[in-house]
Amino acid sequence: MRRPAGPAYGGAPFGNGSIELMQVTAPRHRRVGPINWIGLWTLYHKEVWRFVKVSTQTVVAPVVTSLLFLAIFSLALGRSVQQIGGVSFAEFLAPGLVMMSMVQNSFANTSSSLVIAKVQGSIVDLLMPPLSPGEIVLAFAFGGLTRGLAVGLAAVSGMSLFVPILLHDVGMILFHAVAASLLLAQLGILGGIWAEKFDHIAAVTNFVVTPFAFLSGAFYSVERLPDPWHAIAHANPFFYMIDGFRYGFIGHADGSLPAGVAVLLVANGLLLWLNWHLFSIGYKTRP
Amino acid sequence: MSPEVRLPVRPRRFGRINRIGLWTLYRREIRRDLAFQIDSLWGPVVSNLLFLAVFGLAATNGSMGGDTATLIDFVAPGLVTFAIVSRSFELSAASLLFDKLEGVIADVLQPPIGPLERLVALAAAAVSIGLLGGSILAVITHFFVDMVPAAPIALLVFAVLSALMLGLAGMIGGLWARRWEHFSMLTTYFVIPASYLSGMFYPLDALPGFARALTLLNPIFYAIDGVRYGFTGSAQASLATGLLYLLAMNVVLGTVVYTLFRRGWRLKQ
Repeated sequence: MRRPAGPAYGGAPFGNGSIELMQVTAPRHRRVGPINWIGLWTLYHKEVWRFVKVSTQTVVAPVVTSLLFLAIFSLALGRSVQQIGGVSFAEFLAPGLVMMSMVQNSFANTSSSLVIAKVQGSIVDLLMPPLSPGEIVLAFAFGGLTRGLAVGLAAVSGMSLFVPILLHDVGMILFHAVAASLLLAQLGILGGIWAEKFDHIAAVTNFVVTPFAFLSGAFYSVERLPDPWHAIAHANPFFYMIDGFRYGFIGHADGSLPAGVAVLLVANGLLLWLNWHLFSIGYKTRP
Repeated sequence: MSPEVRLPVRPRRFGRINRIGLWTLYRREIRRDLAFQIDSLWGPVVSNLLFLAVFGLAATNGSMGGDTATLIDFVAPGLVTFAIVSRSFELSAASLLFDKLEGVIADVLQPPIGPLERLVALAAAAVSIGLLGGSILAVITHFFVDMVPAAPIALLVFAVLSALMLGLAGMIGGLWARRWEHFSMLTTYFVIPASYLSGMFYPLDALPGFARALTLLNPIFYAIDGVRYGFTGSAQASLATGLLYLLAMNVVLGTVVYTLFRRGWRLKQ
């Protein structure tokens, strides 16, 4: 194995021919301020490269799936549902589908990363370096957020080829895109901390995330639902993400926008605290 | 004190078909799949029920409304077919790929199990698991939509033929794939689009002429149409054409898989 030769490692320069005794000095440890910026950036960078390297699976595939959904739902329902929320069915559907793929992928990014690290044992690479619990949570969450936004941008561009994309309120679009992706990235961290096997995280995806995402009003107007479903939809945090995001595009919301913003902010804050707490006590991450 | 006579271990004799080997391989495939049943059996059931719920709710939502019942009746058999074909594809593809990646493919190649026996065992496992997944979904769907088959024999024939077709296609996929990434590419870019765009959710006359002609070339369209006929008693295309097409596809795919197994393509190299 080649090592970097230099006084710090006690090695002689290559090709010198003569063996010299060099003064050996131990490598100095890096000083870290209140925030380990290099560590934070490195972990974030690793999280982003994880999905960029396989982007056909992590970005292109979800876009293809949401375009398929757009096609089948418009073909199946476009004739019976002609006007919804003041726009055509496809225009109503597109933002919801974009949001669905954003949140599912933010969740997948963080949860799969943590579970793989735990199963393969590379979690020590996370626990050994001088990274605080807060830095770990933030780096993972921002990684998931980046994947969510990448998928969202790709999906919007893909859909704009088939459906006119209206822009009513860009601020609301951005806020909901970021808040929702961050929320699901944090839920993914929580799921990843809890899960011990791939099966566990698949179960969370199949039985929690997918149902919430599907029944969140992406495909129909919640206002017009029959009664039990109406109340159920309003209790679903995913409803506020999709509703607010869609408001940004079409200018029509089924629920209350301030309530949605408040729900998203509070849920993000609570999850941030919970994940920070779980990492700092080492729940299911430290042996 | 007679010394114990030890007989030498004799090779087991078997005739033209190694029944024990066939049965063992079949059982292994089934048991391996059921070991992951939370993910493999119940996950698809939940996602298909979600589709049903979303379609039902979205259809009641329309400004015209009214035809919710017929839409659900139309979509439910399609979802059952999708559950059948996607499960059988996954079983055979994942089985071969897993064995290759973990290096345990030797356990299948070394014993006296011929290419045809391997094909039959894997295909039978794929069909069984596909039908199991489809039946569970149909039974649960029956709580919401009437799922009593109108033509049980047609239902069984088409269900078996579709499961077999995708089981065989899955074997080709599993042989071809070298990484799990390839496996998920096959599902995302081949199985799901081919099924979703084959009249699972919308009637044929919702499509413009060109797309309709393409759909009529898609074998999964005939699988869904046949299964739908089995449940509801009405089909969109000719059943005889569908039956012949599916049979032909199965024969072609079966021959391809047999040749690949015999040559050991990406198995023995």
